[in-house]
Amino acid sequence: MTVLRGWVCIWAIATNTVRESVRSKLLYGLLFFAVLLIGGGAVIANLSYVENDRILQDVGMGSVRLFGVAIAILVGINLIHREVDRRTVYTILSKPLSRAEFLVGKFLGLTLTIWLQMGIMGLAFVAVSIMTGAPLGASHLAFFVLTGCELALVVAIATLFSAFTTPVLATFFTTGVWVVGHASRELRDLGASADSPALEWTTWLIHRVLPDLESFNLASEAAHLLPVTASDWLLPMLYGAGYLTLVLFAAVALFERRDLR
Amino acid sequence: MSRREVVRIDDVTKDVRPSFGVRRKRVLHGISFSVREGEIFGFVGPNGAGKTTTLKILVGLIRATSGRAQVLGHDVGETAFRRHVGFLPENPYFYDYLTGRETVDFYAKLCGMSRARRSARGDELLAQVGLADAADARVRTYSKGMQQRLGIAQALVHDPDVVFLDEPMSGLDPIGRKDVRDLILRLRDQGKTVFMNTHILHDVELVCDRVAIIVGGRIRYEGAIQDFIEAGERQTDVLVAGMPAHAGPALEERFAAQLCGVGDRIEVRVPEKHVDGALALLLEGGAQVVSVSPHRVSLERIFLNAVEESRR
Repeated sequence: MTVLRGWVCIWAIATNTVRESVRSKLLYGLLFFAVLLIGGGAVIANLSYVENDRILQDVGMGSVRLFGVAIAILVGINLIHREVDRRTVYTILSKPLSRAEFLVGKFLGLTLTIWLQMGIMGLAFVAVSIMTGAPLGASHLAFFVLTGCELALVVAIATLFSAFTTPVLATFFTTGVWVVGHASRELRDLGASADSPALEWTTWLIHRVLPDLESFNLASEAAHLLPVTASDWLLPMLYGAGYLTLVLFAAVALFERRDLR
Repeated sequence: MSRREVVRIDDVTKDVRPSFGVRRKRVLHGISFSVREGEIFGFVGPNGAGKTTTLKILVGLIRATSGRAQVLGHDVGETAFRRHVGFLPENPYFYDYLTGRETVDFYAKLCGMSRARRSARGDELLAQVGLADAADARVRTYSKGMQQRLGIAQALVHDPDVVFLDEPMSGLDPIGRKDVRDLILRLRDQGKTVFMNTHILHDVELVCDRVAIIVGGRIRYEGAIQDFIEAGERQTDVLVAGMPAHAGPALEERFAAQLCGVGDRIEVRVPEKHVDGALALLLEGGAQVVSVSPHRVSLERIFLNAVEESRR
């Protein structure tokens, strides 16, 4: 019964967060430009004599990822900070819900918002592909699913930083984790080929500790319509779920200790 | 028969670290007091005395550095007991994209209320706090006073047994203040316990059963309002306009009045037994009486003494 009540609270916070996003002009603006860029891919593709379809879809998928990450970071870093700064958190946390439920609710709400926006961007992508005759396959679906997982993880990381630091620092840290998370494989390989054991160990540690975000990147497979196996989907999803859970645990632990002065 | 304690604070201290600084500053110095069931308790102190810090400890927003705080027999760190507790923060803020009705409904959801009950309770409360006509307007269009009323509605939405109010009259016009005072008294009639933070002594005198005075993070006085009423000398404040020059010395000499004010309006404080005489003198002299308000000097005197002591 208590668990059910907890979920009712989490859902109430999450739906309210979605409602906030739906009523926010900023997100509509970002979504408009994303859809515009996906459509603009058709124009850009026409400038090339070869591989028009690939260029079109590369631009489309790049737009989805770029705008998805921008929304995840821009909104995510303010997720908790704004509640504390605007003092809306005072009345909410005086009700019978825990800080963990509040934080998970906020995370879930923003993740659902981003997935909703990804759905709209995905529909725009499919529509433009069909109109221009570009091929679509299962790998495109896998790309969207795993990008959705990656963005959920980015939201969790932004939530973690938002729980204990300022928006500026949270932006810096989250963007840093996203950039290094995508480059950590190359860093690890670079370290392994270097002569220095310390460098090798450091780059290996970075790769292990920070999220391996490249494991969610199926853009290349989708662009070349390469076959995607079940493990290509499931392993990154499991990895993402595990990492995300750990990040949320850390965020809750930090938020629980915080005085809301 | 003594009523049970619903709020208990034992030797609570709170240290805070300033934004730019390493050394911690103690803002609560081992305070202890209790509030009994069904009473209206006034927690009084000047700005920065530690009232809001204490209240935030009681609703679990901040943790005490040491000591123990309990509400309804539960440690304030627990969550479940809060279904019996309502809280109005000072200058409450709400999601400005929601309407008043949606706001109350949102808080009711957090309290686990069913849809049918939420709807009925929301309508009832919005009408009670005078927001029925603005229920479907976005909160961003609300005035400060309307937000304060909405804050009271959310604090009461789940029909709590204990209500914590931080400066509940803040931002309200005189009619709003009276409405809130009446509401607080109605809550007591319903058997609720009300804990009210304020620095407005007049409000305390009008509604509170007991009071604690906090200054500089220390409780300086705790007692029943009745004690003040019985012990204190009643005085009356008379606000007058156009007072003739000769009236001032006469009031001071004959009625032991104290005068203060600048320009045309002057506040005359006279002992209750001399009110009739002072009013007659003023009216005969052609002064215009703007307002007459009873005033008990005892609470104010104790409060000012407490502030004075803390400065020594």
